[in-house]
Amino acid sequence: MKRRTFRRCARAALSLLALSLLAPVATPTASAPESIAPRLEAVRRAAPLDRARLELGRQLFHESRLSGDGSRSCASCHAPAHAFADGDALSRGYNHVGHFRNTPSLVGLRLKSRLMWDGRYEAADLKKVVAEMLFSPVTMNGDPGIVVERVRQLPVLMDAWRRLHGVNAPPTIEGIVQAIADYAGAHDGGDTPVDAALRGDVSKLSPQAIEGMRLFNGKAACVRCHSGPALSDGRAHRLRVPENAEVLRDPERTIALLQHHANHGSPDPMAERSDTGRHAITRRASDRGRFATPSLRGVARTAPYMHNGVLPTLSSVVEFHNRGGGAGSELQPLGLDARERAALVAFLESLSATTAAGEAPTSHDYATAAGAGR
Amino acid sequence: MIGEPAQRGARRVDRRLAQRLAVLLLSMTLIAGGIVSVGAFVDVLAPGDAAADTAPLAMLPPVRIPVDNPMSAAKVELGRMLFFDARLSGNASTSCASCHAPQMGWTHHDPLAPGYPGHRLWRNNPTVLNAAHFSRLMWDGTLDRLEVQARSAMQAPVEGNGKAGIVEMRLRLVPEYVDRFHDVFGTEWPRMEDAWLAIAAFERTIVSDPARVPFDRFLAGDARALPEAAKRGYALFNGKARCIVCHGGPLASDEQYHALGVPRQLLFDSSPLVQVAVRWQNAQREAPRVLYRGGGDEDLGRWYRTRDPADIGKFRTPSLRELRYTGPYMHNGVFATLHEVVEFFDRGGGDAPNKSPLLQPLDLDAGEKADLVAFLESLSMDTPLIVETPELPPMRPLVETVAAQCSRDEQ
Repeated sequence: MKRRTFRRCARAALSLLALSLLAPVATPTASAPESIAPRLEAVRRAAPLDRARLELGRQLFHESRLSGDGSRSCASCHAPAHAFADGDALSRGYNHVGHFRNTPSLVGLRLKSRLMWDGRYEAADLKKVVAEMLFSPVTMNGDPGIVVERVRQLPVLMDAWRRLHGVNAPPTIEGIVQAIADYAGAHDGGDTPVDAALRGDVSKLSPQAIEGMRLFNGKAACVRCHSGPALSDGRAHRLRVPENAEVLRDPERTIALLQHHANHGSPDPMAERSDTGRHAITRRASDRGRFATPSLRGVARTAPYMHNGVLPTLSSVVEFHNRGGGAGSELQPLGLDARERAALVAFLESLSATTAAGEAPTSHDYATAAGAGR
Repeated sequence: MIGEPAQRGARRVDRRLAQRLAVLLLSMTLIAGGIVSVGAFVDVLAPGDAAADTAPLAMLPPVRIPVDNPMSAAKVELGRMLFFDARLSGNASTSCASCHAPQMGWTHHDPLAPGYPGHRLWRNNPTVLNAAHFSRLMWDGTLDRLEVQARSAMQAPVEGNGKAGIVEMRLRLVPEYVDRFHDVFGTEWPRMEDAWLAIAAFERTIVSDPARVPFDRFLAGDARALPEAAKRGYALFNGKARCIVCHGGPLASDEQYHALGVPRQLLFDSSPLVQVAVRWQNAQREAPRVLYRGGGDEDLGRWYRTRDPADIGKFRTPSLRELRYTGPYMHNGVFATLHEVVEFFDRGGGDAPNKSPLLQPLDLDAGEKADLVAFLESLSMDTPLIVETPELPPMRPLVETVAAQCSRDEQ
């Protein structure tokens, strides 16, 4: 016991030292040989979803009674007004369980190839992500059986369920998760000026944004990682974003971080002090500090930025990349001048449409349904 | 019935045999004699016979301490803190004491307690008082140890909704808990399994003090400890009212399961949250829909444990100790007062498919009912058992917790 304690205390001292030196780590780049240069692509409209399916999803997405104590819905953190993010540096998480990461926007979800900041789910696993959010103690802390029984007690939800599944189909947790996943994946961020430009109509882009687009694809090399219709390569990269000190300052956020490491097989979760990103999932040393490239669709509305929300504005994000990221980053300094940086910001702002999406349904009460159990 | 002393098991078999004989005797009498009044049947057993093969009321023995969870003052104190600590629940809102409140007889005054926010329980929650003396726990005998009950209640979505991983991490960021768990269990960091041990150890101290229970003082030889009404009630309890048949022994419970036909709790029909809880419980316990009337809107009781249709609607005989403080009564909290309970038994109970043949109309007059209530009240302590609510230590940033731990180990 004494020896273990000594080792831990010594390790704690060492890790503090390491942190203070910010020792750069050898950085193998993530880029694999590619035959086709990465480029931006216009969003191809998906076939519109069945209205009944979307409506059931919308009702469920905004229903706080899916959470354990009935206080948090999907929309609590993925707010339509914030491009389905929340506007906070760190996600609020469940009540009295903080989170240690920034809430990712859901815009462009169906266009992405991997999900979550550590890329631990493939795009095809969206239902698993929804289930994790519903039942994890860090997010909604719900229970599958309770969710089903509460839905049965909510006539508006039951009406929406029956319109999709028929009058005699009892609600199931699989169907509930599916409907939420369908709704969450239905937001591409609208038809943006950049989409129009990629189709050949540059009239909606300002000259500054056109200049920014040229930089994005050229000197700034953003497109190397922010490519395709989602403006994401679906890979994890090491940028060496500064730590968000709030994670260790606020014990409720720390418990979520330690629990995350414990859940993913850290040999000594109590010794963990930072979010190691992809490494916690793969346990490959080369993945330490790597986070998935986020989509940039709707990015002007999803501030603050990065996996831990430490960069407050698009300007600060561009500055950070222009410096070549933090010490030990995969990024290279870009040498952009002030005019070029402003042009890039203008381009990034053109990745949002003006139309808002995802109106919240009106709230409604439980019914004392005599037939609810039948 | 795991781990039960053989002698008591044998006694139970004897009693069952006696019950069957009584039923047989009754049917023979009916056939032979035609119309026989219920009063005549009661006379077959009462007054002496009913008590003859039943354990008499007695003082509670010392609490049995499991070998794998020995008591210590430090452990009990840690258990007391954890019992009152809402951080053991999902959103840090609900402690053990929220539903087992000392000032509410270590249970709750709501017939069906609120439980975790956004929920309501489906059963009247049993008191912690003297729970340490029961060989099985819960209304349907589902659990067998206080340690397991603490874990179950903390994690159940309708009760604590606390996930062990998160709660354990919370405890680890409370430097004072890190120290206390280290002192009691010798671990580097608090562990959830140890928290349940500590809570159970604390609960083993929440028992009636015989010196403060009038009936126990009476048993010890103080004839003046009971008022006359209670003494008359005691005689009825053992005789005409035949309560002793099921409510015998130190706990005043046979720890057996009986269907009484207790009236339906109307909240089952009027409260959406109760309806959610009842259906969820039935689904959790995989109750096939064919077994319950309205499609999952009933409590099947002992059936959940045995899966025997003959056990539907049976619930464990509760202890009659500390009733003054633990109302409302019955598994669904449907009776607010002891008078209502006595009235119910006087009627011979209600209707139920597996209703116990032991329940028959008692034909008690108003004075006898009042005497019975006076006796029941004498099984409670003169004043309620209250434990001081501890001041709970705060969570601190991890660096401070580790620093405190390192400096402690250096000393």
